[in-house]
Amino acid sequence: MTEPMLSTDVQRPETTVPPVTSQADARIRVNGLVKRYGTLEVFRGIDFEVGAREIVTIVGPSGCGKTTLLRCLNGLIAADEGEIWSNGTRVTEPIAGMAMVFQHFGLFPWKTVYDNVSYGLRMAGVPAAEIARRVPHFVNLVGLKGFEQAYPYQMSGGMQQRCGLARALAVEPNVLLMDEPFAAVDAQTREILQFELMRIWEERPTAMVFVTHSIEEAVLMGDRVFVLKGRPSSIKETITIDLPHPRTRETLREARFAELREQVWSTLMSEAREAEFKLET
Amino acid sequence: MRRELINRHAPFVLSLTAGMALWEVVGRYSSPAFMVPLSATLKKLWQLIIGGTLITQFLDSAALFLTGFVLALLIGMPLGLLLARVRGLRVGLEPYIMILYATPMVALIPFILSMMGFGFAPKVLVVFLFAVFPVLYNTIEGARSIKPELIEVARSFRSSEWSLWREVMVPYTLPYTMTGVRLAIGRGLVGMVAAEFFLSSTGLGQMIMTASQNFDTAGVFAAILVIALIGIAMMRLGRRIETHFARWRN
Repeated sequence: MTEPMLSTDVQRPETTVPPVTSQADARIRVNGLVKRYGTLEVFRGIDFEVGAREIVTIVGPSGCGKTTLLRCLNGLIAADEGEIWSNGTRVTEPIAGMAMVFQHFGLFPWKTVYDNVSYGLRMAGVPAAEIARRVPHFVNLVGLKGFEQAYPYQMSGGMQQRCGLARALAVEPNVLLMDEPFAAVDAQTREILQFELMRIWEERPTAMVFVTHSIEEAVLMGDRVFVLKGRPSSIKETITIDLPHPRTRETLREARFAELREQVWSTLMSEAREAEFKLET
Repeated sequence: MRRELINRHAPFVLSLTAGMALWEVVGRYSSPAFMVPLSATLKKLWQLIIGGTLITQFLDSAALFLTGFVLALLIGMPLGLLLARVRGLRVGLEPYIMILYATPMVALIPFILSMMGFGFAPKVLVVFLFAVFPVLYNTIEGARSIKPELIEVARSFRSSEWSLWREVMVPYTLPYTMTGVRLAIGRGLVGMVAAEFFLSSTGLGQMIMTASQNFDTAGVFAAILVIALIGIAMMRLGRRIETHFARWRN
């Protein structure tokens, strides 16, 4: 494994070995993450862990760096300080065992559903026979049976994201990264897909980091909700969601759900109005 | 249904019939040194087919065209992808590509003649130069228009550079390349005739030249007609191929 040329490595060589785990089953460990674009600091001081069967949702206003943080976790972009560990590997580029579902779906328009779903497996060098065995299972799992030969342009947004989900699940990751996956579909489809995702997750729980700007979605999906805000942003609050699994439509009607939603709302909104009316200087 | 079919095709058929009639009439009242009627052209064409001249000359031209054209494709497409991916190379070579694309290739023929003389190779080079730039240019433009999100998806799934080309760059760019190919067919045919006129005289170009020198106007028209028909057929084929590779774009 090659280490990136970060000045922090030189100053803190001891951090290049995996830190001693406090929570033995942590799948992701983030230490002191900082990301800058030029002189603009996007976020700083990000520290957290995600358990092997835990869903962490990250909620925050647009432009707070949620997606940037997720892309760092995936190893698509490098953080400027701090480090990310997953499965005993320091993340400096996309690693095996992680898969991302994108807000823009990210399907290859010239590939059919079948070829899109098998894409990750082909990239991972999985033998053809194994691919032929696995792909139908995941196409089925997301409810796209019968649409294997369809092209993305023929499908609704909801179907496209089901395909994107199947592509990520097919590589059987132990960390799922969800980048506002349901933000681009209509409200009804969004609700359907949320419960579909929860059903699939209950069948095979993994670590999941789920970025959203919907408070309700954050509370419904998460075991913990991180509220990301400020400029530069940081995790202002962590709210533990003690709602029982499996999360279903029933969950939405529980009094505790409303309470937690309110709690996240007030944390998030406390400065939102001020922020909205602040002029850039 | 039947009526609709007639309505749809009537303008085409009428226009074509009128054009052929006009050719026939004007041809009959013109001096045969300038123009001959359609009937005389077709009669001459038939003689040329029967006599075997047309087939030999046609095959000769086809070999020239295909060699130059295939070379243009084999070089234009990979080079275009490479230039799209490697910025330094693109910025460096772009001025030369623009200059050559904008230069009327016919102007280069005397230079090619003095460099390479008469023979098959210089003629192939002419066809190649006519055909390569639309392929190259459209491939570069196509490959550069690929959404960065899709490249990021490929990276997220740990694609190798080779897989990125095979699975993402090439299939995305093919429809653009095919637009270039369609343009290259037309230009390649021009190159073919120009090469046959100005370099060693062979093929359909030679047929036109020889007929013209012998004041055989019917022979000139017959050869032009054949080239025009080939051009139309190739263009239609090109469009077919283009839509085939673009069927996912909608």
